[in-house]
Amino acid sequence: MPLIETAALVKEFKRVRRKEGAFAGVRTLFSRDFETTRAVDDISFAVEPGELVGYLGPNGAGKSTTIKMLTGILTPTSGHLDVAGVTPWRQRERNARNIGVVFGQRSQLWWDLPLIDSFRMIGRLYEVPKDRYRANLDRFVDILGMGSFMDTPVRQLSLGQRMRGDLAAAMLYEPKILYLDEPTVGLDVIAKERIREFVAELNRDTGTTVLLTTHDMDDVERLCRRLILIDHGKVLYDGPVAPLKEHYAPHRELVVQLAAETDVVDIDGAETVKAEGGRVWLSFDPRETPAARLIAAVSAKYEITDLSITEPDLEGVIRRMYLERESR
Amino acid sequence: MTVRGSIAWQLKAAGILFGGALRGTAQYRANLFLTMAAGALFQTTGFLALWVMLARFGDIAGWTITDVALLYGIRLTAHGVWAVPFNQLMDVEHFVREGTFDRFLVRPVNPLVQLMTSRVRLNTLGDLVAGLVMLGVAMSHVDVDWTFGKLAFLLAALLGGAMVEGGIQLGLSAIAFRTLGSAQVRFTVDSVFNLYGNYPGSVFGRAGQWALTILPVAFVAYLPTAVLLGRTGELGVPRILAYLSPLVGAAVFAIAYAFWRRQIRHYQGAGS
Ligand SMILES: Nc1ncnc2c1ncn2[C@@H]1O[C@H](COP(=O)(O)OP(=O)(O)OP(=O)(O)O)[C@@H](O)[C@H]1O
Ligand SMILES: [Mg+2]
Repeated sequence: MPLIETAALVKEFKRVRRKEGAFAGVRTLFSRDFETTRAVDDISFAVEPGELVGYLGPNGAGKSTTIKMLTGILTPTSGHLDVAGVTPWRQRERNARNIGVVFGQRSQLWWDLPLIDSFRMIGRLYEVPKDRYRANLDRFVDILGMGSFMDTPVRQLSLGQRMRGDLAAAMLYEPKILYLDEPTVGLDVIAKERIREFVAELNRDTGTTVLLTTHDMDDVERLCRRLILIDHGKVLYDGPVAPLKEHYAPHRELVVQLAAETDVVDIDGAETVKAEGGRVWLSFDPRETPAARLIAAVSAKYEITDLSITEPDLEGVIRRMYLERESR
Repeated sequence: MTVRGSIAWQLKAAGILFGGALRGTAQYRANLFLTMAAGALFQTTGFLALWVMLARFGDIAGWTITDVALLYGIRLTAHGVWAVPFNQLMDVEHFVREGTFDRFLVRPVNPLVQLMTSRVRLNTLGDLVAGLVMLGVAMSHVDVDWTFGKLAFLLAALLGGAMVEGGIQLGLSAIAFRTLGSAQVRFTVDSVFNLYGNYPGSVFGRAGQWALTILPVAFVAYLPTAVLLGRTGELGVPRILAYLSPLVGAAVFAIAYAFWRRQIRHYQGAGS
């Protein structure tokens, strides 16, 4: 049984052209004059318990809009939605107990209170038993390295500190599902790493189901086994990471360091991309030329002192995919 | 543990949230009392103006100064009873426009309860205090025998009046989910309640009384006060309406709350 299920989900934003002058509010209310944006356009997917899914797409693709429907913030224009047996926009309070949500752009903590106070309030609002609360908090403070700023008012926290606080607050009551909308945006490498570690551990040890939106492909490479790519409100790809790479970036690169300086390495099934001071970059398609055969062929003709194979990175794959779509 | 979603749970959650808001505003406490005092002063000057007028003319449509004081006290107390807890309603547009209403929709507490407890604002407490003082003074001076029945009716009328005014303001606030702007309408309606709610309806003639009954400003104070003073004979509307005024409040509020819940579905949030 899927934990999250959407079918033919649609969300249109209607922006009423505002009226001016007296009783503008009432007149705008009865106005029939609007422009419509179809932010989510017939999206269907299912997520099984324990999955960690990357929900990706360019700016304006409809990622945040989907997450806002899944959390109960927005009511769908049409389509079916089921999250842990609950229709989020109909049963918001029940849905709220099943989910944790973090928006990178916006904190859900109490701005004027020390961080620890926000945690206490969350603990009471979600009726977390004392011992569970203690155990979770201690663990999160440890993994996320929050010890030094627990008593600082949230308004004084740095972005990275606040994000870690938000993440801990979203997980204190052990929700089944965690939605992360750009949780690493604007963070330094160390803070990003802490957050990734936290998410990976929750998913692995606690079985928390995670839906992650990000523009940082390192987040995806590190965390996601499955991707859902969307654009203009429609699903482009839904599946594991590897086949996507194979389809959009089949080529690998073999980088060899040769004993003697060489301009072109002439081998069947490989193309010299670049050569520089004895270092040569060869592009090949592993489906036609297995790496082992290529290395054997090169070493039969040249003396190799060092070598490495680079995988295509996801960033490049997705860039290619979007470019290909745009040009169509 | 309380039953989830129940009224007991909502009250408990309100306590938790309001406690947080109080701790968050601790720094501005001195300020809070100043605004509260200013609120009380503002309301008192309103009555003083009326008093000056009455002192000149003796009475308004047969209502003596103490009669009018009772009406004014009931109006102001009812206003205070809704305005103290629902003060934050005026912020709904801000939350909708900024997209910060989001957070109220992802927590296991009624969004309205969360809105009401999101900040501490004591300016309307001044209205309530001024209203209670005026009501107390008027009650001891008017020519009414305060039997248990009359006291019970007064209490019901105060709650009913609070729900009439509160219900209308709640309903109007709900427009904000669609148009992002309801402040002006609410402000206008608030002025109507302030302007016409404080006088005996008979001043405005029969048509005026009907208009105020339908609006339904008259249910807040004029009609129940007429019952308490035994003046239902002079009403321009059927006297049964005056006796039913507490129920009208409950009905207005129930309809407004249902409307508010429906309008939340139109909340669009902010783009980012
Ligand atoms: N509250 C709103 N009112 C009107 N239009 C909106 C609103 N929220 C989003 N949109 C529109 O819906 C579309 C999808 O927006 P959404 O925020 O879901 O994109 P996204 O995939 O999260 O993008 P990003 O990567 O930039 O965060 C955009 O065209 C946006 O302008
Ligand atoms: Mg977004």
